[in-house]
Amino acid sequence: MFSAQVFVSMLVVTIALHVILGAVAYSVMLERKIASWVQNRIGPNRTGFDFGQPFLPKFHFWGLGQPLADGLKLFLKEDYTPPNVDKVLFIIAPMLAVVPALIAWAVIPWGGYWDFPGLTVFGTEIAQPGMAVVTVAPINIGILYFLAVGSLAVYGVVIGGYASNNKYSFLGGLRATAQMLSYEIPLGVSILIIILMFGTARTDLIVLNQAQGILGWNIVWMPLLAVIFFTSQLAEANRTPFDLAECEQELVGGFHTEYSSMKFALYFLAEYAHIVTGAAFFTLLFLGGWSIPFYVGQAAAGGLPLVLLNVGVFAFKMFLIVALVMVIRWTIPRFRFDQLMQLAWRCLIPVSLILLLAAAVLVALKVPAIHWWMLGVNVLTFIGLVVIGPKVPKGPPVNRKIPLEGSRFSPLTTS
Amino acid sequence: MLTLATASEFSHYVPLAVLLVMALIFGVANLVLTHVIGPSRKGKVKGTTYESGVNPIGTARRRFNVRFYIVAMTFLLFDVEIVFLYPWASVFSSLAEDSGLTPVFLGRCLFFILTSIIAFAYAWRKGVFRYD
Repeated sequence: MFSAQVFVSMLVVTIALHVILGAVAYSVMLERKIASWVQNRIGPNRTGFDFGQPFLPKFHFWGLGQPLADGLKLFLKEDYTPPNVDKVLFIIAPMLAVVPALIAWAVIPWGGYWDFPGLTVFGTEIAQPGMAVVTVAPINIGILYFLAVGSLAVYGVVIGGYASNNKYSFLGGLRATAQMLSYEIPLGVSILIIILMFGTARTDLIVLNQAQGILGWNIVWMPLLAVIFFTSQLAEANRTPFDLAECEQELVGGFHTEYSSMKFALYFLAEYAHIVTGAAFFTLLFLGGWSIPFYVGQAAAGGLPLVLLNVGVFAFKMFLIVALVMVIRWTIPRFRFDQLMQLAWRCLIPVSLILLLAAAVLVALKVPAIHWWMLGVNVLTFIGLVVIGPKVPKGPPVNRKIPLEGSRFSPLTTS
Repeated sequence: MLTLATASEFSHYVPLAVLLVMALIFGVANLVLTHVIGPSRKGKVKGTTYESGVNPIGTARRRFNVRFYIVAMTFLLFDVEIVFLYPWASVFSSLAEDSGLTPVFLGRCLFFILTSIIAFAYAWRKGVFRYD
């Protein structure tokens, strides 16, 4: 009835959507735990699965009930829509944020190829046997889908900020738009370089090209590109040190200042889903996807045990990246807005264009051992950055005093 | 063997549609449920715009800095360029050796990137990327 690929894809949709939602909930918990470890605290360790109800058995489970309790609390809060907002946009904006975040991972090949044996229930054939990619959509546009859906994430933020009719929200939405647009360019160029090197946009083939132990991984041969991609991904997900859109000291809550209850929670969920998806794409593009480090003869296709092993390897690498993102949040202070934009336009974009030109010429010349050449280009570009970077003419100093005009604290108006 | 799993069939988009529907249902169900379950109390002060506890001054629908507009325009320049380069990138390394097309493809794309670089340099020179 179904072909093997469609059946496996349906299976992956059902399982992975729930696993991702659970992972998002527990990454909030992981974030709080890592924050407390960085700050020499213990962190949440009290909430079990009894939620304070006396009729449920009391176990603490190391605080693992905390995400569920948080979600429940947000459900029970008041869903307040202020009277002076743009009502329709105000209500659909959180959905515009969460839907792209929840469908962006559709092209990730979680577990390689499954030699699907077919499924027959009571003599009726439900799924034919065949070879299937363990992914939602093994489409040939592949990684382009990630860019297309990732761009849609801007709408939720900017429409939410505009509809709130609040100055903090408006500024937060504007900043988020400028930031996401700017960092999409280095992100797109670094993906373009990978496509150019491998000659395909299909995600499973990109992983298959890297699956030769750790020496096949892109991060070994293109470390500078990996850094550019990771930085842009952080900025795309609005994460510290680039969370200018919601920085508490300047803009209260940024674009979600006026949101409450589950509408706020959807924004929150979208942010963490972006982190998880970004980690998955970093794993896919640079860490060799499902390939096991230091093991060369890995079979590309196999039965269910191999698929489960592959999924485990993929998820472990994703977990390491998510943990790194969280440690970065509690280690590096926030950028200023002009620094943020200058980092994108004056550093990341020119550097990624240089790497793109070098990759194009290397591919055209069909040089042998192109990986070594690419490593050389990366290292040379990095050295060039360190040498040339300080010599680029700087603008005038930005930390000058701005006169307070029109404020009631201004000396101009009191006199 | 692996070519069996290749993708150019339209049926591969069906699970994607299912995923989209599931995500939409998740969003709508959350919004509706919390609206039904949660309490609802309205008040005059509660409805005012939040401005750190001070009475709101003016409206939020006002002019904003023109730099955001310039960023959007410069973004369009590069994003359109990148989108045009994707088909080129995916076929470039698999061009036939003896067809003689490689220098032509490379030359045209280098020219295409060069036009963007000129525009980028012009914008840099005009001080678009200076946020002082």
